[in-house]
Amino acid sequence: MTEFIEFGRTWMPFLLEGVGVTMGLWAIAMVLGFCLALVLVWSRVYAAKPIYLLATLYIEVFRGTPMLVQLFFIYLGLPEIGIVLDPFTAAAVAIGLNSAAYQAEYFRGAIQSLPAGQMVAARAMGMSRFQALRDIILPQAGRRVIPQWSNEAIVELKYTSIAYAIGLTELTARAEQVGYETFQFLEAFTLVAIIYLVLTGTVAQLLDLLERKTRIPGLTSARGKME
Amino acid sequence: MSDTPILSVCDVRKTYGGVEVLKGVSFDLARGESKIVIGPSGTGKSTLLRCINLLSPPDGGIVTLDGVRIEEKNINQIRAQIGFVFQEFNLFTHLRVLDNVRLAQRNVLGRSRQEATRRAQKELERVGLADKFDAYPAELSGGQKQRASIARALAMDPKLILFDEPTSALDPELTGEVVQVMKDLANAGMTMLVVSHEMSFAKAAADEVIFMEGGVIVEQGPPDRMFSHPEQARTSQFLQMITHDHQYA
Repeated sequence: MTEFIEFGRTWMPFLLEGVGVTMGLWAIAMVLGFCLALVLVWSRVYAAKPIYLLATLYIEVFRGTPMLVQLFFIYLGLPEIGIVLDPFTAAAVAIGLNSAAYQAEYFRGAIQSLPAGQMVAARAMGMSRFQALRDIILPQAGRRVIPQWSNEAIVELKYTSIAYAIGLTELTARAEQVGYETFQFLEAFTLVAIIYLVLTGTVAQLLDLLERKTRIPGLTSARGKME
Repeated sequence: MSDTPILSVCDVRKTYGGVEVLKGVSFDLARGESKIVIGPSGTGKSTLLRCINLLSPPDGGIVTLDGVRIEEKNINQIRAQIGFVFQEFNLFTHLRVLDNVRLAQRNVLGRSRQEATRRAQKELERVGLADKFDAYPAELSGGQKQRASIARALAMDPKLILFDEPTSALDPELTGEVVQVMKDLANAGMTMLVVSHEMSFAKAAADEVIFMEGGVIVEQGPPDRMFSHPEQARTSQFLQMITHDHQYA
C-alpha cells in the first residue's frame, strides 16, 4: 500500500496534467452536442418531413456506427477531401457529433413524455408555437431530461479516452506512458481509473444537485418515491 | 349593446378519419349570454368547441368573433380573446398558480409584470384561491385546479369563455365548487359556451340549452322549456336518461 502511495506521489502530477485535455475535450464535445441536439430534436419533433428524415438519418448513422470509426473518419478520412483537423479538434468534433445524436433522442423522449394538453393550453391562450416551446415545453422537458442527460455526460466523459487512438495525450494515454516508463501498468491504470471516477462522480453529483434544485412537484418525481 | 352576436357559428363541419363528426352546426352567442351544449358522448360537442378557436380547424363553415372571421392568419390574436377551460385543466405543471395566471398576460397581451400580477391576484381571489398563489398545480385538488384554470382564462379579459366538460374529471364532491364559480361568472355577465352535463348549471345559469346528437343540433331553447317540454322525442329521452343517472349518482 505504501508503495502504491509512493507511486501515486511520483506519477499523479504527470497524470493530472491530462485532466485539462480530457475535460476540455469533454466540455467542448458536450456543448457542441447540446447545440446540435437542439436542432436535431426540433427537426424530429416539429419540422417538415424532409428535415425530419435528414435528422433521423443523422441520428441513425451516429448511433449505428462505432465511435472509433467516426473518429478515424474525421481525423484520417477527411484530409483526403481537404479537411485537416488537429487531433484535439478532430476528437472534440467526433465526440460532439456522436453525442448530439444521443442527446437529441433524450430530449425527444422528454418532450414527448409531456402531456399534449400543455402545448394545447398554451396555444389556446394565443401563444405562438415559439412562445409555447420557450415558456412551457422547454422548461418542462429540460427538467425531465436531466437524469438521462447526466448519464450521457458521464458516458461522453469516458469516451474522451478514444482520443488516445489518434495520438492525443489525454488521461488514458498518459497512464499508458507511465506504464511503459515504470512497467507498473496495474498501478498506473489504477491511478487513472481513480481520476476518472473522481471526475465522473463530480459530474454526477453536480447534475444530481441541479436535478434536485430544479425539481417541481408533479413534473419530476423525487428519487425512489412514487408521486 | 350591438346586435352583432359576439360569436357566430355558421354551418361548421368537421370530418375525422372519414367520419363526419360535425355535419353543419350553426348558432349564435350574444354578448353576456351563456349557452350549455348537452348530448350523448361522441356527438361532436368537444370538437365543436375546438373548431371555434381552430384547435382543430373545421373542414367547412364560418366562425366569427365580434364580426371578425376566425382564420389561421389571425388565430393567435383571436385565441387571446377566447378563454378555454379544459376537462383536464391543463395548468402549466412547472409554474406556480400565480405564474400560470400571469404567463399569457405577459407574453401574449404584453402586460407589465406588475399589472399581470395584480390581475392574477384579483382573479385568483375571485375564484377563492387567494391562499394558493405559490402552490404548484400538483399540490391542488381537482376542484382547485379547475378554478385556477378559470382564473387563468379570466385574467385575459376574454370576450367569451369556452368550457369543455369542466367538471367531468372531478370527483362528485368537487364539482359543486367549480359549478358555483361558473354560475357566478354567468350571473356577472360573462359570455359562456359550456359543454357539460351539469344540470344544476344548466338550470340556474344557462340562457339556452343546445342538444346535439350525431353531429347536428337536434333542438335548442331556454332551459325551462327544454327540460319541461322538449319538442323532440330524442331530447326528452336523453334528458330523462341523464337526470335519472344524476339521481343515483
